[in-house]
Amino acid sequence: MKLFTYIFFLIFFTQSAISSSDREIEIYKNIRCLVCQGQSLNDSNSDFANDLKKIIKDKIDQNETDKQIYKYLVDRFGDWILFDPPVKITTIFLWIIPLLVLISGFYVLYKKVSFIKNRDD
Amino acid sequence: MASNLGLICLSLALLTSIFLILSFTKHAIFKTDLNYKNFYFSFKISFFLILLSFIFLIIAFIFSDFSILAVYENSHTDKPLFYKISGTWGNHEGSMLLFILVISLYGFLFILFSKNLSPDLKSVTIFFQSIIQIIFLIFLIFTSNPFEKILPVPNQGLGLNPILQDPLLALHPPFLYLGYVGFSLLFSLLLAALVINQYDSKWASIAKRWIFLPWTFLTFGIGLGSFWAYYELGWGGYWFWDPVENASLMPWIASTALLHSILVMEKAKKLFNWTAILAILTFVLSLFGTFLVRSGILNSVHAFANDPSRGFFILIIISGLTFAAFVIFILKSSKEEKNNQSYIFLSREFSILVNNYLLIFALVVVIIGTTYPIILSVLTSESISVGPNYYNSILAPFIFIFLILMAMGPYLKWGKNFFISIKYRFLNFLLGSIFITALLSFVLHNYDIIFWLGISCSLYLLISIIYEAYYLRFSNLNFGRLFSHAGFGLLIFAITLNHFFSKEFTAKIPIGESATYENFKITFVKSSSTKEKNYDELFGYYEVTKGNSTIPLKPSIRKYHQPEQFTAETSIKNKWFSDFYLAMDYSKDPSSGIGIRFYFNYLVALIWASFVLIILGGFLAFIQRKNEKSI
Amino acid sequence: MKNQFKILILALVFFIFVLTFYFALGTNNKNNTQVMVSKKLPRIELTSLYEEEKKISFPKINFKNYYIINIWASWCVPCRDEHPFLMKLANENKVKIFGINYKDSKMNALTFLKELGNPFYEIGIDSNGQNSIELGAYGVPETYLIDNNGIIVLKHVGPINKDMYQKILDKIK
Repeated sequence: MKLFTYIFFLIFFTQSAISSSDREIEIYKNIRCLVCQGQSLNDSNSDFANDLKKIIKDKIDQNETDKQIYKYLVDRFGDWILFDPPVKITTIFLWIIPLLVLISGFYVLYKKVSFIKNRDD
Repeated sequence: MASNLGLICLSLALLTSIFLILSFTKHAIFKTDLNYKNFYFSFKISFFLILLSFIFLIIAFIFSDFSILAVYENSHTDKPLFYKISGTWGNHEGSMLLFILVISLYGFLFILFSKNLSPDLKSVTIFFQSIIQIIFLIFLIFTSNPFEKILPVPNQGLGLNPILQDPLLALHPPFLYLGYVGFSLLFSLLLAALVINQYDSKWASIAKRWIFLPWTFLTFGIGLGSFWAYYELGWGGYWFWDPVENASLMPWIASTALLHSILVMEKAKKLFNWTAILAILTFVLSLFGTFLVRSGILNSVHAFANDPSRGFFILIIISGLTFAAFVIFILKSSKEEKNNQSYIFLSREFSILVNNYLLIFALVVVIIGTTYPIILSVLTSESISVGPNYYNSILAPFIFIFLILMAMGPYLKWGKNFFISIKYRFLNFLLGSIFITALLSFVLHNYDIIFWLGISCSLYLLISIIYEAYYLRFSNLNFGRLFSHAGFGLLIFAITLNHFFSKEFTAKIPIGESATYENFKITFVKSSSTKEKNYDELFGYYEVTKGNSTIPLKPSIRKYHQPEQFTAETSIKNKWFSDFYLAMDYSKDPSSGIGIRFYFNYLVALIWASFVLIILGGFLAFIQRKNEKSI
Repeated sequence: MKNQFKILILALVFFIFVLTFYFALGTNNKNNTQVMVSKKLPRIELTSLYEEEKKISFPKINFKNYYIINIWASWCVPCRDEHPFLMKLANENKVKIFGINYKDSKMNALTFLKELGNPFYEIGIDSNGQNSIELGAYGVPETYLIDNNGIIVLKHVGPINKDMYQKILDKIK
């Protein structure tokens, strides 16, 4: 039934093609579809994703910056909706811990290395 | 009928394993003689019983025996035979049975292929492997019984998610398990060696193959998953840093570090303690990944049957096994290793030390990224997401350094600084790679710094490998290392090009119309629909024109009946190693046209080819017996 | 001894690990639904369900002490489950409830209300779902309790249950 509806509309309603710009796609990739399992807006087909994409497209047309769009979403849905983690006190360890590992590992290497005067074979 | 037999086999396997433990304990405590032949025979019996039980479950699925709950919940008489069979492990209970089967299989293989091993080491290893087997058998029988009955017997099953009805996905779990579950044997082998004080470089020679085998399978399983995601999910990507993907990556990284550090243990007699820690860590990460995926903690595309209560049991099992292993390690670890052990700068063992340093860094990043949201939500009830940008931006710089080290490391010698003697060789490699990179950069009009780094570093590695093969006149080569390193070099090379020259665009195109994007034109020619046994399908006929060539693509939307679900089937055509890739979107609002997603995936076939090389390398390393010739 | 000390530390580490992930099993790892609480309700304007020319705008300042906004649809099954709570709140005259009819047809909406009762003081239409997104809602049903300064005091995702009903009562006293 649904398929017939598709074909019906395809035949009788001609419009020109609408496509998404690179910037749109980049933003959609960074936003989580809240009703899906781990997909971004770009990867999702759900109603919520499509509605949100429309809203974002309108905002882009109104010349809002990426930052403004993300703030709009985070104010309403929390940090979880963005795939990039926010940088704040509670999340700073995301970067501090790898840095600590990097530094302490380097220190271990430094302690273990020895420079012997090179003697060929 | 089959269900009762299946459960009986499992129970007998459990009893046999308990008998094994008891008889060994008696031998260990009272120093009585152990009849080794009977001991190993009993383990083989337990393996065959578990195998039989698994076969019974498969039979139940094939014949749609809905008196079994797992069959009822996950199968349907209309499902094609192949998917009825693969449905056996497409659910929690069945996949746990497969999990145990692999544990037992590795023990079985170990018995078969360890004829010349010291009897103590061999028997204690089987002892530990039996313990692991028992723990999971108890977990299976008492909390996840695959043969659990349902009354009254339903007439029809609840069907299986159509997304899971795919040949690649059907094979994905078995190969993953042959991978990360296989590290259970190395785990047992390590604990055995520690306990009987035979943990030395001779052990390292024996243990190597029990790393290479599961490592190869794990790489294959991860590659298969990535390949499937690309072909089936319809979003043009092959790796999403999805938590479930990361769960299999973590043991992979740890085992890669392990298979390098064990070489140092064997050849330079260093890194004993570190190798032991890695061996324990690899298996622990495998179990931790299992826990993450099945417990309902993660939110991802890979939605398993999520059950927090089972998650708790797995958590206890992991913690218990890990704690016990580390206690054994602390009590029995090599006291011979003095703290002032040093590594000569630019010796082979030093380069592997740096290799491990970088791999562990990568491992930490993946672990942190995956678990941070979970831990944060427990501590503060804040919810954050950690997406691909985090991993890519932190790890990318280190990939370049890693490639260069991979190129130079194998040329270094054990126990001394050989670099000075061959530094001109490295200079030549550098010149060669920069020259080719400049050429490519000019031809392809890309002058991005990341492009330069990615291409030049991977070429540097590839050149060093080709030179090594040529220098040794293609004989006595360490094919394992050459193929796997070459594969990795090719992988980064292909990923870099793919990243910079792929195209993606989405559009809504009405019938008969076209949309253009850069030098692509996509035309929606016509549509048709068909009815199959378990779904209806709407096909879209499109033509993609790029320059002089026109490629026809035929994506579709399927509406499955049992359960009702929509999926989008992609249409992919490969031309000169690149893919033209098109998927249709299903939406509730057909009046605005059907949405399409078009991807031009540049040189993506090279990515799959590089996986094949890496897997081949692992396999060759596994079967290699003689030592490499040094260069 | 050195070894015993190490084992003790190890045990402590494992204890913390198990505890953390045990709690993780219990928590909801999805979206934090309370992000909008204590924030001012965003401004939206809806067309009335009954009269096409009439507009209903939010937030309402100095409109009683509290009011409720409930997002619902006739096709939404959990909305039926929570409806009795809405009727109770309206009938015992405790608080005014504004309805936002989400992606629905007027006919189906009216039939729904005829069948189950109408607890709504006023009903606005959100035909494309965008107004609900503006409020920070991503599905149906969702319910907001708002004070006379336009601040969101309570927000609930999903059908109202006994707990939520009690929370609302406690607040509006």
